[in-house]
Amino acid sequence: MAGSPATVLICDDEPALRELIRVSIRGDYAFAEAEDGVECMKLVREIHPDVLILDMLMPRRGGLEVLTELRGDVELAAMPVIVLTAQPETREDALREGATLVMDKPFSPDEISEAVEGVLAESG
Amino acid sequence: MSNSSSPVPDVSETVAGPSHGRAGSERANPGLLTRIAVSIGALALGLALVFGILIYAVIGLRHRSLEARRSQQVIATANGLQTLVIDFETGLRGFVITGKRRYLQPWVTAQHRYPPQMAELIKLTADDPSQQASARTIKQQIDAYLHNYSIPLVHFMERNPQSARAVSISRTGSSSVEHIRGSFTTFLNKEQARGAARDVRAKNTAHAAVLIGATSLAAALMFLLAAAVYLERVVARPVRRVAGGARRVATGDLSERVPTGGPGEIGVLEQSFNAMTDSLQRNRDELEEHNRRLVESERLKTELVSNVSHELRTPLASVLGFSELMLKRDVDPIDRRRYLELIRSESARLATLLNDLLDLQRHELGVLQLNRAEFDLNELLAAQVTLFSAQSEEHELEFRPAPEALLVEGDRDRLAQVIGNLLSNAIKYSPEGGVVEVAAVETRGEAWVWVRDPGLGIAEDQQAQIFTKFFRADIARERGIPGTGLGLVLALQIVEAHGGTIGFDSEEGSGSTFWLRIPVVTAPQSAAAAGDEAKARHGV
Repeated sequence: MAGSPATVLICDDEPALRELIRVSIRGDYAFAEAEDGVECMKLVREIHPDVLILDMLMPRRGGLEVLTELRGDVELAAMPVIVLTAQPETREDALREGATLVMDKPFSPDEISEAVEGVLAESG
Repeated sequence: MSNSSSPVPDVSETVAGPSHGRAGSERANPGLLTRIAVSIGALALGLALVFGILIYAVIGLRHRSLEARRSQQVIATANGLQTLVIDFETGLRGFVITGKRRYLQPWVTAQHRYPPQMAELIKLTADDPSQQASARTIKQQIDAYLHNYSIPLVHFMERNPQSARAVSISRTGSSSVEHIRGSFTTFLNKEQARGAARDVRAKNTAHAAVLIGATSLAAALMFLLAAAVYLERVVARPVRRVAGGARRVATGDLSERVPTGGPGEIGVLEQSFNAMTDSLQRNRDELEEHNRRLVESERLKTELVSNVSHELRTPLASVLGFSELMLKRDVDPIDRRRYLELIRSESARLATLLNDLLDLQRHELGVLQLNRAEFDLNELLAAQVTLFSAQSEEHELEFRPAPEALLVEGDRDRLAQVIGNLLSNAIKYSPEGGVVEVAAVETRGEAWVWVRDPGLGIAEDQQAQIFTKFFRADIARERGIPGTGLGLVLALQIVEAHGGTIGFDSEEGSGSTFWLRIPVVTAPQSAAAAGDEAKARHGV
């Protein structure tokens, strides 16, 4: 993968938030977007992103379901996942299901940018 | 002061009321004390009767044995008298033959003993006139023997012993004595027969007395047993039943009831026990229901906080994120403008959420004001359909308006809010997309509006809660469909404030149809005006 930019898949049902995340992350990345859990899984399998930014509450399939399926799949289990939640009480659920990092909404642009850099550095 | 004194008679009346009722039921059903008194009285009467019979039997027995003893006394006295008669004769003979006064001693003694003993015999035979007559005859015979023969002979002997001896030899005395003894034999035979009969009677009476005694004892025992059984049945058993019931109630079984209908205080006890368990059970049920509601309300509240948190944080994330971005980074003017627009629209979303919450609050306080005006519901529906068509690419909104104008008098903005909520739900709850049908028609003075979606539908067990504040269907949470659980509650309140009704038909997996009915403006009142208005609009 050296040379080509890392891919970030942003999955959130709010278009404004997808845009905010995209413009907040500094550096050389390729972005893909999904607006619900079903589309998210489809894209994950298609493009194998380097980082997945996942919202918890989404139509069709929520973030937890996506996370569970991801961690149950041998090929995808190691993928770094940053979970965004607007309901802090779901933080524990997300960590239990295997989230790499959980961030509460609202978040600052720098935080999300640093988070992406951090999990990528960690995953090597 | 006059006010404070008035409640006193009221209180005493309410206290007196039920106690009168109780007294009435006690009259109809004799009290426990009365019953115990009556049963003890009956027992005492029965025992008195038994003892009366027993005493009567003992008196009879005593009487019979006295009778038997009297016959023996009669026989003994008669025998004694017969001996005295023999003493008279032998004493006299000895004296006449020997001439010695010493031999007259038995005669003299007999003279002394004879009168009281004869009197005794007559007295003893007082209960039998024929025997008494015989005794009197014997007395006459003895008296005749003494006065006509024996005493004259003793006097004669003192003056002329020889002549006296001649008289004695003539055996006049002997034949008299033999005659008297014959009378005694007859008398004694009769008395002996009578004595034997009395013995038999006394024996029979004794047997009867023993029998009566045994029977009376048995009867007394029966009376006691009957009284014990009665008291057991009327007092002990019901009390035991209530005690058992109370024990079971103490272990928590509040369904326990005892049969009623016991006498007096026992009946009151049974009824009070049942009333007590009724009341305990009712209170517990109420408490459990109250508790259940509290738990449910607590759950809804927690969910609300969570939902509101989500609904507030999502637009806030955009507002804060984009503003921070513009403050901290170099943003070109085109992006800057776009971010500001996003900030504005997300802020507007926040404002809407706050308005919903405030509306609900106002509804609950009953202070929501409707700005009523006459307008065509068809137009409102068309505008909302256009607005929501732009929001989803996967959905197609089909609108079939009513053939005629649907004039209603209502708050246009509020009704737009209701229609908007139904359309938004129809889109949110049919995530696979599809056709959302909107239709309106006028029937029997009412405007009917339907919004039908091909979506997830509502589970049957959750349909009753759809219009409950903050309620969100399981499917909404599972699928992560956003919402506060306030939209339909507000819709219901707004429609009802317009004098209308709102409802739905739904089957899980087959979509939902939400409908609402609002009264239309009736023709005579505003037909002309409405017609003019409609013409004017069409004209434009």
